[in-house]
Amino acid sequence: MSDTMNIEDYLAQGGVLTALGNVPARYRGELMRLMSSFVDSELAASAGFASSINFAPGIKERIAASRITLEKADHAERVLAVMGDFGTDTRRYQSQHDWAARVERDTDLGATRREGDMRLSVFHYPINGWTDAVVMKVLQGLATGVQMDELARVSYTPLAEVFREIAPREARHAELGLEGLGRIVGNGGQSEVQASLAYWRPRVAAGFGVANSARYDTQARFGIRHTPNETLLARWEKLVGEHLGALGL
Amino acid sequence: MARFLPLKVTDVRRETRDAVVLTLAPRDEDRALFDFTQGQYLTFRRSFDGEELRRSYSICAGVDDGCLQVGIKRVDGGAFSTWANENLAPGDMIEAMPPMGKFSLPLDPNAARHYVGFAAGSGITPVLSIVKTVLRREPKSRFTLVYANRQISSIMFREELEDLKNLYLGRFSVLHVLESEAQEIDLFTGRIDAAKMTALFDRWIDPKSVDAAFICGPEPMMLTVAQSLRDHGLRDDQIRFELFASGQPGRAKARPVSKATEAGEGTQATVTLDGATRSFSMPREGQTILDAAIASNMDAPYSCKAGVCSTCRCKVLEGEVEMAVNHALEDYEVRAGYVLSCQSYPLTDRVVVTYDE
Repeated sequence: MSDTMNIEDYLAQGGVLTALGNVPARYRGELMRLMSSFVDSELAASAGFASSINFAPGIKERIAASRITLEKADHAERVLAVMGDFGTDTRRYQSQHDWAARVERDTDLGATRREGDMRLSVFHYPINGWTDAVVMKVLQGLATGVQMDELARVSYTPLAEVFREIAPREARHAELGLEGLGRIVGNGGQSEVQASLAYWRPRVAAGFGVANSARYDTQARFGIRHTPNETLLARWEKLVGEHLGALGL
Repeated sequence: MARFLPLKVTDVRRETRDAVVLTLAPRDEDRALFDFTQGQYLTFRRSFDGEELRRSYSICAGVDDGCLQVGIKRVDGGAFSTWANENLAPGDMIEAMPPMGKFSLPLDPNAARHYVGFAAGSGITPVLSIVKTVLRREPKSRFTLVYANRQISSIMFREELEDLKNLYLGRFSVLHVLESEAQEIDLFTGRIDAAKMTALFDRWIDPKSVDAAFICGPEPMMLTVAQSLRDHGLRDDQIRFELFASGQPGRAKARPVSKATEAGEGTQATVTLDGATRSFSMPREGQTILDAAIASNMDAPYSCKAGVCSTCRCKVLEGEVEMAVNHALEDYEVRAGYVLSCQSYPLTDRVVVTYDE
């Protein structure tokens, strides 16, 4: 059993890596890019949701928002620890950006990132009230669910395991959002909800990236990604349709 | 950042003609740092003719063995493994980073699991650590090991595995598959391929009984075994892989360093990414290698742009660059020519870098 194989062929055929010494240079770059996008997004999401705690109408909602704020930061820390194995200065990294900073509400960023801050563009927009926070949480929470299924298959096992641990808690965040949305709709908040849906829907959709992405092809070759952006986006749109439909929205 | 610490070689045991088992002892003050989880590995470093070499070897001891042991099989042309096999002696000091890697599942003393392991050649080392630990810490669990080797004389830990079978009677079984030695049962002769895997599942291992599988060996063998496990109903999170040491990158060659800044204002930069090479002119000041590559429509990886995360690491093959800030690369990486492209400005009128190495 002495014959070996080019590591890229191995990865393309579904092989996985467990030790960072085996990671090829380009693989490393793409894996780091994916991890930093996740870490930055979670830190920005946590920072953004922190202010929503004070929008909460009651204790139950306050606890839900606090929990989301806490756990997003925890998830960022876990993935940042994997980056640390590759040499990232984790202490400096977490203070690189003002994670609570937001652009003006009516700015249109499309899918572009801001210099050096790899958060998904949706996390650059400000939340303007409790209903808005809940709607954003529902849409982005469902998107995260779709993304977690994809990320849990990443070919770098130490990272895949972190994502598998995180996934159920992220799913719970979306459930908390849906429970909150049900209460708002039950209390006659439909029109406010519709306005927030119109605002957040295209912004969350932009987070799935472009169709026929060349970067996706590179990442897929390494087993870092498995499902194209457009397929993930379609999955999310279907999920959103089902959940909103169930609430009569 | 992890750092290297001294370990004392307390025993060198010849395991086979071309493999040794080293027993290592950390200093008292480092002892806690070298506590390990079954299946982890140690990364060693040593200079050979002025070039620093790093090599990782799996720990073969169980967590309750009370010692730190690694198995090192000599690889043809491998400087480190040859040195370890031929020159290391008790009393020598060797440098290693604390244990790393995650080739294990959390232990549960109340669990009654059926684990299977597939190891080829020296791929046995981390699997042996898991076998010993699981059998001891989970008294109701059992382990089936499928172990492929070329011939009987090349089987590492053959006696130790026999002892374990006797110690954990009924809970541990080993199926030896030998490539070039006929055995009574045809199934156990030859190489592990898809047909052999199916036969194993038909006659020796009930796939439905398997809770988790560990695979360690060369890439093609791991792909074959993993695919067969999936075909027989195991989920990805039940299958653990550890790639063989042979897949590790070659030696990090030190580059000749000349710090002389060449006169002139512009630089001709050549950048390789994903096998494609582009050349362009860039200024000596005000623009980093990364920004210049991006400006030339190359999708070079980066994240923080502050010299902190190391996503943008590339290697300088020709010419000189200067990093404004480096919080991420270690000295040995810098000596080997790696730079953070988001912090690198050219010093020479020609610079050649690659993101592919």
